[in-house]
Amino acid sequence: MPDTTICGSVSKAAGPGFCAGGTVDVSVDAGVSVAAGPGFTAGMVDVTVDAPASVAMGPASGRRVRKSWHKRLKPYLFLIPILLFSCVFVYYPFVKTFLYSFTVVNFKGQITGFAGLENFAYLFTFRTFGTALRNTLWLTAMFVPLNLCFSLGLALLASKKRRFGFIYEIMFSLPMAVSMAAASMIFRLLLNPSVGIVNHLLHLNIGWFEDRKWAMAGILLVCLWMGLSFDFLLFLSALRGVPESLMEAAVLDGAGTLTKLVRIQLPLVTPTILFVVCTNIVLSMMTSGPVLIITQGGPARSTSTLIYLMFTSGYQSSNYSQASCISIVAFLMTFVLSFLAFQFERRGVHYS
Amino acid sequence: MRGSRKRRAAAFDALATAVAICIGLAVVFPIVYCVLGAFKTRPEFASIPPTIWPESFHLDNFREVLAKTPMLRYMLNSLITSTIGSGARILFALLAAYAFAFYEFKGKNFFFFLVLATTMLPADTLIVTNYLTVSRLHLMDNYLGMSIIYFVGATQMFMLRQHFRTIPQDFRDAATLDGCGDLGFITRVLLPISRPVVMTLFVQSFVTLWNVYLWTLLVTNKDSLRTVQVGITMLTTVEDTNYSLVMAGVALLLIPSFILFIILQRNIVKGMLSGGLVG
Repeated sequence: MPDTTICGSVSKAAGPGFCAGGTVDVSVDAGVSVAAGPGFTAGMVDVTVDAPASVAMGPASGRRVRKSWHKRLKPYLFLIPILLFSCVFVYYPFVKTFLYSFTVVNFKGQITGFAGLENFAYLFTFRTFGTALRNTLWLTAMFVPLNLCFSLGLALLASKKRRFGFIYEIMFSLPMAVSMAAASMIFRLLLNPSVGIVNHLLHLNIGWFEDRKWAMAGILLVCLWMGLSFDFLLFLSALRGVPESLMEAAVLDGAGTLTKLVRIQLPLVTPTILFVVCTNIVLSMMTSGPVLIITQGGPARSTSTLIYLMFTSGYQSSNYSQASCISIVAFLMTFVLSFLAFQFERRGVHYS
Repeated sequence: MRGSRKRRAAAFDALATAVAICIGLAVVFPIVYCVLGAFKTRPEFASIPPTIWPESFHLDNFREVLAKTPMLRYMLNSLITSTIGSGARILFALLAAYAFAFYEFKGKNFFFFLVLATTMLPADTLIVTNYLTVSRLHLMDNYLGMSIIYFVGATQMFMLRQHFRTIPQDFRDAATLDGCGDLGFITRVLLPISRPVVMTLFVQSFVTLWNVYLWTLLVTNKDSLRTVQVGITMLTTVEDTNYSLVMAGVALLLIPSFILFIILQRNIVKGMLSGGLVG
């Protein structure tokens, strides 16, 4: 079955003049590689390789050597694009950031001297950095558990398929369609202390993004709203993946809703919990968007986060050493926190 | 006994539905408020107490945002950048996944983990150095520069490889016997049978790139090249926030996102699950 479809489609591509024999391979492969455009040397290699091989003409030994050499090289050709971009835009900047954090760098990005750990020593005496670090850690400490409670709670509420369930399922997953920038603009209006509707509806008198005490809570609220949907959908499908037979068996054994939850549902979704916690640690440690759009780090630096500070020192002040130090610190902290989360894997996570 | 239990279960379901819909209303409230706000006039936004419903549904704000701001241009810029970025990302991921799934070669595991390990380094921490690289390559204010750092799709590569491994090796052997080269096999056999996976990954990447804010803010200075995510935040200034204009702009921005959302709400999760990333 697959054979016929292959032949059919290939002959179409090769066009008229397609007939049996050694020349066929050449025309087919040539046609394909031309269609794919230049730059795909892998296809071109086939032209020279496959045709002689299948017809077995000419001095076989010499060609066989060339063929195996080509054949061995071929898989690497497919890896070139992704490896090239990985190196240029992931590994190279990482190494460079690392180097920058230990050196003196001028505004053009050239290294002019070695600084050792002085950059870091200076950074930790820098009050703005302390504030940013505290804010980021506070955000992570609040965001990760709260998000877990909300998204898992909503997923448990929605896990049973009900007649009108699609209504609230769509409602819960709708924030996913709103981009960070759009959500930030909306919340800027919603949480406006004077004309915002949230204070009015809830009879609050909070200065949200204008009060130093509440500004970070405002950012947290935006982050929670944005992060809710995706994790909800993950938990929902994980909970629905719990085998029905297990639940029924538990009911026959006289298990109540709570027992079913603690003994069956939660253990079976622990892999998803681990995944959600890890991605959310990274996400919240890297928070910068809402800060940039809504508060610009203010009022009085009370919402400055690590990546926001990195952005301002690197982009606005061209202080690349400092920006690199901050990003190394952010990276290391994220790494350590994710590592700690993984420590629970051995103890708590249950793979079925 | 049985009947009463059934009735109790039905009552519980009705209650759960009601509670869930109430919470749901709170969750979607910001979106509804924004869409309704797009019809409000400027004085309505300044009114105390604030209102939810607009006085009348007129389209002046939309007309104004389209006429006075380059909103459509911003959207076009986002469309171009996201298409280039996710197209290249999926293509490169596909080529690599093909090699990893169908070939045996020296250093295969090493290269595989080299690509996968890129996900360990959060992109935001590398943004300043990438900015220097891109400006040195003279790609500032350029569609390529705006999308180039998103060309590496390790997750996409991983998922495609997982998918390709479910395809029997016989398919490829048969194709080779018929004189199909690697690219012939990819375009005529592999792509047609994995179209759902590839499409899901493409749309997913597209959404991610459409929503990018920080990077495109960094590499664009010209107003005519701003993406919609950056542009939307520039409709206002610190002194003067014209919320009616902003809400109309955000509402316009939500339209394409919601269309995509309807198409792939389920597929995103399915894609994640089939990739074996979860569970």
